[in-house]
Amino acid sequence: MSEALFATNGLTKRYGGLVACRSVCLTLHQGELIGLIGPNGAGKTTCFNLITGADDPTEGSIQFCGEDVTTARDYEMARKGVARTFQNIRLWKDMTVLDNVRTVCAVDESYGYVAAVMRTPRYRRIESKITEKARHLLARIGLADAESEMATDLPYGDQRKLEIARALALDPKLLLLDEPAAGMNPAEKVDLMNTVHDIRDEFDLTVLLIEHDMKFVMGICERIYVLDHGEEIAHGTPEEIQSNPRVIEAYLGSDL
Amino acid sequence: MSGELLWVLNLFVFIGIYTLLAVSLNLINGYAGMFHLGHHGFWAMGAYGAAWLTIVGQGHVPGPLLFVASLIFAMLVAAVGGLAIGIPCLRLRGDYLAIATLGFGEIVRIAISNSPIDWLGGSLGIRIPRILMEVRRDTVVSFRWLMLGIVTLLCVITIWKLRNFIRSAPGRRLLGVAQDETAAGLLGINPTNSKVVAFVLGAAIAGLAGGVFAHYQGNINPLNFNFMEMVKMFLIIVIGGMGSLSGCVVGAILVVATEQLLNRGSGFISEWWQVEFPLILALMIIFRPQGIFGRRELTDVWRQFRAKRAQAKGQQA
Repeated sequence: MSEALFATNGLTKRYGGLVACRSVCLTLHQGELIGLIGPNGAGKTTCFNLITGADDPTEGSIQFCGEDVTTARDYEMARKGVARTFQNIRLWKDMTVLDNVRTVCAVDESYGYVAAVMRTPRYRRIESKITEKARHLLARIGLADAESEMATDLPYGDQRKLEIARALALDPKLLLLDEPAAGMNPAEKVDLMNTVHDIRDEFDLTVLLIEHDMKFVMGICERIYVLDHGEEIAHGTPEEIQSNPRVIEAYLGSDL
Repeated sequence: MSGELLWVLNLFVFIGIYTLLAVSLNLINGYAGMFHLGHHGFWAMGAYGAAWLTIVGQGHVPGPLLFVASLIFAMLVAAVGGLAIGIPCLRLRGDYLAIATLGFGEIVRIAISNSPIDWLGGSLGIRIPRILMEVRRDTVVSFRWLMLGIVTLLCVITIWKLRNFIRSAPGRRLLGVAQDETAAGLLGINPTNSKVVAFVLGAAIAGLAGGVFAHYQGNINPLNFNFMEMVKMFLIIVIGGMGSLSGCVVGAILVVATEQLLNRGSGFISEWWQVEFPLILALMIIFRPQGIFGRRELTDVWRQFRAKRAQAKGQQA
């Protein structure tokens, strides 16, 4: 098998006496679509926080593209190509839909403060590239008509889509989706499944997602990691996970 | 008659100076979302910086050149102040940042008050040589016209350039950090950079206002930069709208005109302005915290008005 795009090794996070996450080893290969599930409080979001650099692990290491990124800061991780969406939508409320994407847009070159203030030709050129790219992403995700609306005026499902468009603006290699289907109706969920699947292929992404909706996870993920009480209790294909007694026990409780 | 004209010219020069102060405070408080209460410190640093350079350079450098140099120096001095206070305060939020910056503003004033008299004049203040033109009874009107022209030009350039900045990539990143710092960090924006730049830029513009103020007044003392001035600047941006540049202009006109009118009068209302201004501030924050303009600009309002009219015409036809 080819070398992993992303791997965590013995990832542990302690908050005082509480172990939020113990010796978690995730391995993601280029192009995979992986699920991370577990009951409430299993440590899924802690894992995301460690992966994205929002928090540093107590022990263990993180590798990304063959580089050790254990202590990288959040914005450094984002620039290396790890983008995420949020469980509780965190769009910039006082910005238009277009500006939400443009703010994140990375193009190959950038311009400095002087160019920004003086509106140099360089500024105009790069700015129009940024706008073009943002419009392209919005069109791809189906929000082209809403570009001048305020982000908070969008319907809930569209706000989730906008979060994905905004994450894509970073040109990520690894996309983390934190409960992307939360609060959506069944039709929207099917739509989202297709979208996630398509953008994975189109943008050459590796996707790791947290989700509680089992239909969604089982329908889309190629491999699944299951966490409980901060530990990995199972790992395998959706079929293997569904019949794994430890997973069933974690979710439903065991017979006494 | 000339008395009235002088009063009006003076009023407009001050409106200009407070507009500069308000837009720079708005950059830090409104756009960058940091609760900063030490702007009078940057203003004082700029004023004293310009005064010092003017005194040192007088006689060695031609007047207009020295004037420009002293304004640039004022911006530099205040920007260094912005850097000095900005970096250590970055980890502070909300009320804590407000207390730290308020402390900074007061320290600047008190430090100047206690400086050696032969250096910055201590609590007695310092006289700034008139390097642009002599200011006598027969020339004071033209001097005020000149200063009004200069301050208007500076306001126009500053607001124009600030608008460019806010509508650029670095400006958008700054708004992103202000609105949700966690999300901004996770989306590749370095919050520290954005905040320090806002602080330094805001401080530099306040310094510029200080330089103009020093040259206009001809003498400055630490009491010119007391906390009541900070209240006034804050009142301007709260009235105009946090995050609106044209709001700052409207706010500056309202607040400075009210203050100067009250200064002319006598009696209860005039004498109690130091109570009335904070009271207006409190009432604004309770009843209309977004200010008159909110985050909109005058140009947006005009565009909406035209769009509505076009729509109405379309319906008629």
